[in-house]
Amino acid sequence: MAEIAESPSTTEHPLGTVGASRSKASSSALRESDVDPKTMRTTTPGLKRLFLTFSVLLSFLLGFPFLWKTVEIYRSPLPFGDMDALSKQIESSPLQFPCHFQSVFMTKLTSQTLERQCGSCGENFTLSVVVDSDGNGLTPNCSYKCGALGALNLGDGEAVDEALRSALDESCSDYGGKLYTVVVVNGDGAGEGPKALVGKHRHGWISGRELDAEAMIGRMAEMFVKIFMNGGREDGAIHGEFMPVGADGRVVLSFSLLNANPDDWFYDWDFQKLDDTLLNPVIEALKPIANISVESQVLYHTPKSSFSYWDESLGSYIFSTKDLPFFVNSNEWHLDTSVAAGGRTKILQFVVYVPSANECPLSLQLPSGEISKTNGFISPMWGGVMVWNPQSCIKYSGSGPPARLLMHPDDLHRIFEVLMGQLRQLFGLKSDSIYVGAAGAYKLLPSEKGFTEWELDVLSRQHTCFNLHSSGTTLGSLSRLVQSLPRMIIKDEIGKQVKFSLEAAQLAQTNASVGLYEASAASSRQARSLAEDAFFHPSIMSVSYFSFEHCFAVYSPFFLPVSLHVLLAALREWRRYKQEKAKYVRWKVKQVKAA
Amino acid sequence: MTIQIRKGKRATEPQCLGSQRSLNSEDLLFPNQTGDSKAAVYFQLSNGRFRPPPAHRLIAHHIVDTIAPIFFRVSRTMWLPLRLTLLLLFLLLSPRALLRSGSAAVVSGEEEEFHEELLLKPLPDRKVLAHFHFHSIAPPSKSNGRHHHLFPKAISQLVQKFRVKEMELSFTQGRWNYERWGGFDPISSNNAKPPGVELWAVFDVPEDQVDAYWKNLTNSLSGLFCASINFLESSTMYSAPKWSFRITPGRLRYGTLPREAVCTENLTPWLKLLPCRDKAGLAALLDRPSIYKGFYHSQRLYLTSNASVPAETVSGISLEQTLTVVLQPNSPSSSSIHSGESNFQPSWSLSSIFGRKISGKCVLAQSSIVYLQLEKSIFSEQKDNMDNGPNSLASEGFAGGSGFEMSLDPDIVIEEENQSQHKGSSVLYGFWVEKYNESQPFDLGLKWKYPVFWSSRQAPLHASRFLMGSGNERGAIAILFKSANSADSSSGSRHVSDGCELQVDVFQVVPWYIKVYYHSLQIFVDDEAKPIGDFVHKIQVSPSKDKTSPGMMEMLLKLPCDVRSAALTLEFDKGFLHIDEYPPDANQGYDIPSAVISFPSFHSVMHLLSNDSIRKSPLLSRFQEKNRVQSYTEVLLVPLTTPDFSMPYNVITITCTVFALFFGSLLNVLRRRVGEEERYLKAGKKKGWLRVLLSRLLAKLRGKPMEEPDQPSSESAPLIGKKLVLKVILVAVLAVAWQFYST
Repeated sequence: MAEIAESPSTTEHPLGTVGASRSKASSSALRESDVDPKTMRTTTPGLKRLFLTFSVLLSFLLGFPFLWKTVEIYRSPLPFGDMDALSKQIESSPLQFPCHFQSVFMTKLTSQTLERQCGSCGENFTLSVVVDSDGNGLTPNCSYKCGALGALNLGDGEAVDEALRSALDESCSDYGGKLYTVVVVNGDGAGEGPKALVGKHRHGWISGRELDAEAMIGRMAEMFVKIFMNGGREDGAIHGEFMPVGADGRVVLSFSLLNANPDDWFYDWDFQKLDDTLLNPVIEALKPIANISVESQVLYHTPKSSFSYWDESLGSYIFSTKDLPFFVNSNEWHLDTSVAAGGRTKILQFVVYVPSANECPLSLQLPSGEISKTNGFISPMWGGVMVWNPQSCIKYSGSGPPARLLMHPDDLHRIFEVLMGQLRQLFGLKSDSIYVGAAGAYKLLPSEKGFTEWELDVLSRQHTCFNLHSSGTTLGSLSRLVQSLPRMIIKDEIGKQVKFSLEAAQLAQTNASVGLYEASAASSRQARSLAEDAFFHPSIMSVSYFSFEHCFAVYSPFFLPVSLHVLLAALREWRRYKQEKAKYVRWKVKQVKAA
Repeated sequence: MTIQIRKGKRATEPQCLGSQRSLNSEDLLFPNQTGDSKAAVYFQLSNGRFRPPPAHRLIAHHIVDTIAPIFFRVSRTMWLPLRLTLLLLFLLLSPRALLRSGSAAVVSGEEEEFHEELLLKPLPDRKVLAHFHFHSIAPPSKSNGRHHHLFPKAISQLVQKFRVKEMELSFTQGRWNYERWGGFDPISSNNAKPPGVELWAVFDVPEDQVDAYWKNLTNSLSGLFCASINFLESSTMYSAPKWSFRITPGRLRYGTLPREAVCTENLTPWLKLLPCRDKAGLAALLDRPSIYKGFYHSQRLYLTSNASVPAETVSGISLEQTLTVVLQPNSPSSSSIHSGESNFQPSWSLSSIFGRKISGKCVLAQSSIVYLQLEKSIFSEQKDNMDNGPNSLASEGFAGGSGFEMSLDPDIVIEEENQSQHKGSSVLYGFWVEKYNESQPFDLGLKWKYPVFWSSRQAPLHASRFLMGSGNERGAIAILFKSANSADSSSGSRHVSDGCELQVDVFQVVPWYIKVYYHSLQIFVDDEAKPIGDFVHKIQVSPSKDKTSPGMMEMLLKLPCDVRSAALTLEFDKGFLHIDEYPPDANQGYDIPSAVISFPSFHSVMHLLSNDSIRKSPLLSRFQEKNRVQSYTEVLLVPLTTPDFSMPYNVITITCTVFALFFGSLLNVLRRRVGEEERYLKAGKKKGWLRVLLSRLLAKLRGKPMEEPDQPSSESAPLIGKKLVLKVILVAVLAVAWQFYST
């Protein structure tokens, strides 16, 4: 048997024939009686068991990576570097668009310190100055044809606006029509000083008598920077980052007429007509920024949840601005998220509140003590509320239930004006028509569509910026999340979404740098939507991923005892081999000495 | 058929003219010139700081200036004919009618409507049925789904988005007692529903898209009603009945969740669809504790849309919301017990049943009526009295002669009579709720003067279903039909002839883990096994597919009219589920949804004269529709083998341990040096008995004679024995100590 052959043979305990013959054969020089079996051996120690145990250990060690591979969960490779780079880049350097300005007069624009604000124009604006003094000025590539503007009747702002549009827009098509022009007309004004107007399109004009050139430069610069570039917004206005547009580029405007107590009176409105005539142009105008749909409902038995008190001097029930957070009664106002608005569509609620008889008329008192003229307020990203008081607050006193009353078209118009103003404010624009800058006041001509062209430009620039910012932060946090959870399954779909989102963001940035507002808005929207798709993917949301603890619980009952056996065996055999080898060497040495 | 209708006193006194409406009409004529004076102040809510900018003219105001004139031109042209009609109306009608017509002239086209009705009916077993019926109608209009005035926007959008042609959703708690509460009248056929949630919908989409639309619809409804309807999304939970469930099926999907618990969180969103919710009108009666402590509670939503052209989604929608509750009036004990008659019907009033009163109608409702339905058989002895004159049917006449008294005078009395069977016909007393208000709330009471007995009309066959067999392996489902009126069947005129057949439709859905062997279908008629072909007229079976679709059976039986009982049995095997598929409470068992039994040749119709007031009432017009008599069987609870859910880990641990033992011993055997050990054994003076045993065993395995140790074993044996005893004692002490301290 192998075991017997391997075992060290000693003289004292000869083990059968094999051992004896071996010991005889092994040698003659040293006498067997000299060999101490505790310290010496005459044969080389066997390698068989050592080889066996080590091969088992080795195969275990080699098999371990394979096991690890089979246990491994699938993670689609994500471009973490690109994701982090994008988010860092968007954080550090805000997106900037090129803007093209043109001033038609005989002056030059002093370069002011431009704010490096996200969504504003960068350093790379072009300025074409056209001197129109006596018919033959120098005309740059985007040509303002000198003399195209004839005599302007400066009294009528609308007419001037149209004349400028026909003269300027036809002449210039190099920048896709996105050329902002300020015309300084040295005409015969009313004499009260220079008058500055901003039109519905992309131009403004300053007119007056005996205009001071330096002052004009200042005003022109202000018009370019503050109005055309920043949309004339003030510091307190809603920041551009709160753009009420859903991630899929859709907005639902939900109009609700709330009758607080229909037992007193209840009103109905013909919203269909309002939608067809007044709302449609606004929706058309906003189409480049958002896809807007409109719906309306009438709700009943919807009291407000804050209290109001009677003020004799003002002759009405008063609720003050500090009550506003409690005005919206979310228990009773079933404003409902729309079924039509699936997914990540943004819903803006516009509420017209008809108070009941015991709180009519109801007015909003401003902190200054005045009564609000619009009787309404907005809540950013949620919508607006407006209180509409019936004309007479006399409770219907006839027997039987009150009849349904239809809102008068005039009232509807007034409500619509207020709601439009609220919509403009929700988009971060001014709701009044005068901008007062440092150098003077500017009159802003209102558009029939609710939003002028230059305002829409500002909005689409901001929208792009906001979308890119959002997609950058989303991708950044996705990358952090994925890296922090090494055992989370990442599907291929997520990888694809991330890839496409990065591509879209890249495209948006290049488009923005060229000055294509619409294209960059579209691709930035896509980037944001894909980034959110990836972040809110259902497989990421699920909590029960294959955790490491689970893996340990499944495999440890086998591997813990087995590895103990294998390691111990290998260790023992190795120790024994070393020991036996030493014995053999000692014997050999002794033999050599004896020889 | 004799139908007598009598109107009670109606409130028709003229009402005084509200001033505000006429003011509005004036405004229509003279548009206000306040355009320039209008100023708007805005402020925003940012940083919690309010900074009103100076009052300036609003930009958007400009729009008004340009478009307003169009409006006024329209209104001016409209005014001329309007004024004429108004003048005429002023002369002829009451001022309130003037107001109505004024507003109607401004709003073009049909308007959305809302009706609310309540039917109260004492049941033979001393309970009271309350059936709320709310009906909303949205006429066809291109603004449907977008602009609504009364109709719930959510439902309209649901219909538009999922192209629903017809849909019914019911939440039910408890089981309708067909034997006592009736099985033939419209309420039991339409509103008795199986426990839990039942949903079916007909879609207006191509056949291959129906499943996708169904899945989306279930998820939307789940969100809308705060229920787990989304579980119906899985294809194992719904089926597509061909002909037995509805007569005109179309693209129908049907699914039930028998275990869904129904509570207030489902009622609140349902009430949200009503314009007045439970703030006013009849729904104000819905006091949650009192309706949920009843015996039966079923809240139902049924909608139809007449979307005929799929491309142009201009469709009208009719939404019917019903709530059926069976309540036990807590009768004053003194009145019922004093005479020792336990069968005395309890007297009740609305406030005693619901704990609330109706304080006027919902102002938005077109009609608001409460009906009290009584079986006519109660008055059979007063027949002579009734024929005396038209006045005799007035409540006073009844109250004087018959055994009950109503606290209020009815406004209308409608009598129903079936010419074929006088049994089961009833009388309806209508009450207009609009006459009542806060100061004079509507509280209808019914007082019984002496005991009365009657029975509700039954369906031709009473169906019940039960399980047979025992154990966790196999069983059988049995559906048993019993003739409801076995005594009457011989006397009934239509049941005499031999050729008479009774048609019964059976529709049964079985989940896939109940593997039904449809070939094992057996039929027993009057307790005798009969060949299937004699009675089964038509059968359609779609067997279940594992984890894909449930099994469905549709069957049309034709039984002889004089059948006393009939039974169907089907055998099944219980399947095994994957560990992931078990519900959280797996040991409770699994539900087989109710089977639907319908009788195509019987219709539950109330024959009422098509009077104006009846035609306007959606509840009564619903009662007059021809509907098949339909009933649901019990839900069956099947226990399935449930594993120990920690089993996977146990199995893993045991197998791994066995493998590890095997592997370890194999490795040991491979590297053991037996010769050396034997030498040590010989060398060592003291040897453990275990070692001796082991070496012996090894020697035996090797087939070599064992070299006996030199020492005689007899000497060492007592020593080892002492040690062993000591060890055993030590272990025992440890065990006792452990037992002692651990408890």
